[in-house]
Amino acid sequence: MSEKQLLQVRKQKRLQVFLFFAAMLALSVWSAISTGFSFSGLFTGTVDSTKFIIFDLFPPDFSYIASLVEPALETIYMSFVAMVIGAIVAAFLAIFASATTAPHPIVQVAVRAFSSLFRNIPVLIWTILLAAAYGLGTLVGTIALIMVSTGALTRAFAEILEEIDMGQVEAVRATGASYGQVLAQGVLPQFLPGFFGWSLYMLEINIRASTIIGMVGGGGLGFVIQTQIKLFQYEQVSMAVLLTLVLVLIMEWITNQIRERII
Amino acid sequence: MTLLQVKGLEKKYPDGTVALKGIDFEVNEGEFIVIIGPSGAGKSTLLRSVNRLVDATNGAVIFKDRDVVKAGTRVLRKIRREIGMIFQGFNLIERASVLNNVLHGRLGYMSDFKGMFYLFNQSQKKTAYELLHRVGLGEQIYKRADELSGGQQQRVGIARALAQKPALMLADEPIASLDPVSSNVIMDYLYNICREEGIACLCNLHQVDVAKKYATRIIGIHAGEKVFDGKPEELTEDIINQIYHNKKKELVANE
Amino acid sequence: MRIESTYKQNIQDRLEMPIKPKKNIFLQIALLVAVLFFFFSLYQLNFDYARLISGTGAFLETLTLMVPPDISQWQHVLAAALESFQVAVLGTIFGIIIGFVLAFPAADNITPHPTVAWLIKGFASLLRAIPTLIWALIFIVAVGLGPFTGILAITVGAAGMLVKVFTQSIEEIDYGVIEALKATGAGWFSIVSQAVIPTVLTAFLSWCILRFEADMGESTILGAVGAGGIGWELTHAMRAYKFDQAFFVAVVIFLMVFSVELVSNRLKMRMKNIG
Ligand SMILES: Nc1ncnc2c1ncn2[C@@H]1O[C@H](COP(=O)(O)OP(=O)(O)OP(=O)(O)O)[C@@H](O)[C@H]1O
Ligand SMILES: [Mg+2]
Repeated sequence: MSEKQLLQVRKQKRLQVFLFFAAMLALSVWSAISTGFSFSGLFTGTVDSTKFIIFDLFPPDFSYIASLVEPALETIYMSFVAMVIGAIVAAFLAIFASATTAPHPIVQVAVRAFSSLFRNIPVLIWTILLAAAYGLGTLVGTIALIMVSTGALTRAFAEILEEIDMGQVEAVRATGASYGQVLAQGVLPQFLPGFFGWSLYMLEINIRASTIIGMVGGGGLGFVIQTQIKLFQYEQVSMAVLLTLVLVLIMEWITNQIRERII
Repeated sequence: MTLLQVKGLEKKYPDGTVALKGIDFEVNEGEFIVIIGPSGAGKSTLLRSVNRLVDATNGAVIFKDRDVVKAGTRVLRKIRREIGMIFQGFNLIERASVLNNVLHGRLGYMSDFKGMFYLFNQSQKKTAYELLHRVGLGEQIYKRADELSGGQQQRVGIARALAQKPALMLADEPIASLDPVSSNVIMDYLYNICREEGIACLCNLHQVDVAKKYATRIIGIHAGEKVFDGKPEELTEDIINQIYHNKKKELVANE
Repeated sequence: MRIESTYKQNIQDRLEMPIKPKKNIFLQIALLVAVLFFFFSLYQLNFDYARLISGTGAFLETLTLMVPPDISQWQHVLAAALESFQVAVLGTIFGIIIGFVLAFPAADNITPHPTVAWLIKGFASLLRAIPTLIWALIFIVAVGLGPFTGILAITVGAAGMLVKVFTQSIEEIDYGVIEALKATGAGWFSIVSQAVIPTVLTAFLSWCILRFEADMGESTILGAVGAGGIGWELTHAMRAYKFDQAFFVAVVIFLMVFSVELVSNRLKMRMKNIG
């Protein structure tokens, strides 16, 4: 490329960047106007919230912790069960959703669309939709979590499968191995590290999500937070929030430990 | 005795590239045949059509009286397990142990179930170990495959192919990713073992001098066609030029 | 041949396989624990499996009630969808601004003081660990209902995550780049603007896109607790047993989140090509 062309390309790129930022700015201004957003509002809002947090939420009511143990455990159980079932189903679906292993392109598109449906409807929405049929409680929460876990993991696993080294797979096939043997001996070893890594990550996400699905009737800590807010029991609310926080951080720590050892 | 017959083999890839334009040759038991030719000539395609990692468009590949091109799944498995293959990129299962990689050579002889669940028996393990010992890796058998050097990995590749007790060995540029010293070692192992065990070998190479050193017969491929088939002594400068004659041009055109 | 003779000799010695080294059985133990914990959890959750079956029947039944979707309220629904989108945009933008400002003093390699870095990181992980919807509940009590609450909640969640990932990106910078500028006697701000920002810009951008994708999902659910947007339409329709209306809302939500995923995939691909 000549110097002139380079300059031209650079100019073009700069223009693109400028246009991008201009578009973002316009988008924000438009959003701000139509949602009635104002900076003074932001300021008073922040002050009010800080006041609320300091004066009403604090100090957390530690005596309340005993009645939170049960919902906290429920949160963990739901997240874990959903992660395990989601991971197994997703591993199966991913075989059909990845370009390298799908038996037919149409199957691939169908499974991808299916998993996208699960993934792109937020877990809370699923819970609302399902609660009418399954009633309130941990059952509906777990089902919603399974659906979203399955959706997200199918996509992740399919991507892992698409990135595996086909040379290794081919070498196993060349020995005269059957389809199942090729999957088990050639594909699986390359697939497992990603499988465990993503499943652990999903567990973290589920823990967060399961605290919120409680708010629409999915059981667990979210349910407690929602009810106590309605009862203006803010110090108990903050205790539940604190417990959520501790739970999330502990889970993050545990999954990190495991991840470091297996990958 | 004839082990392999390739008759009028043609291959056209789905994107329209014609890689093979009707190749004929035979391989007799115990031969060590080196295939040479410029990049893109179709050497890999030819080799991979033999064990049907690539499906030929036309022609026949007869291995021990069975047509590879027309074989069904079960027959194909039986054919493949008698044909060992080693690759330029080694293609070991990187996360599996060296020993397990060699055991993969036995998969074609095992039931689906046993093969899927790593149920290799003690005598299979022992044989695999002996093969590894034979290629000088007796001490490394529990290491992960990707912990070995390139030359060592290729020796594991050879051991894996030998575990199949093959009648024919396919080697697709086995030394292209290796330094000169390791290359020598690998070619020595490959050649000696094939000769001792009476395994016929089809080996793609880029180095004409190496080809001349080992081959009992040399096949020259150019643009999907066989342009030479004879003894190493018959491979003159002229013929080499003919095989590679517009190699330079093609390389530039490909870039 | 040499190889042959040594080989034959070795075979006569009848080789003994080396002893297998102790394998790291951490993975096996972890798996076993996982399996046990799975069944323990199932036991503790004590699902009513009869309800699982009857519920599935009921759900299929509601599904039949859901089609065809009732689009009579489309103006209403689309306005709410637009609001959710705007809430996501503003929340993400403010999150980005906060993340951007706080990440530089929080990165270990360029922080003015380690304590500052530690404080910011701690603050960010606090923001992050509390789910957005809980923030929304807190803000509803403090500020009242409406889109403004949603914006605040999204901002807090986005800031918590972006501070963390921005900081990580900065900390991954090759120290040589910074040192070279330090050697010229450049001050903190010029180091950041000349060396750090150009290096991390692409990484930052892809995190921003990823975050917007997540925030789009978050903002659709905020309505479920009353913080504005399309989530409220869904809750409303379900409570009124207007399943066909609810279905329409669900479809709109799906399309919103899905199209953002599509666009973000596109952008990510392009950035991969450029970067
Ligand atoms: N999967 C494929 N799809 C389409 N075309 C292919 C494919 N594999 C190979 N080809 C084409 O077929 C021709 C022969 O390729 P092949 O790999 O057999 O050559 P080669 O002689 O092994 O070359 P090299 O020495 O570089 O390995 C080339 O033009 C190549 O571009
Ligand atoms: Mg080749």
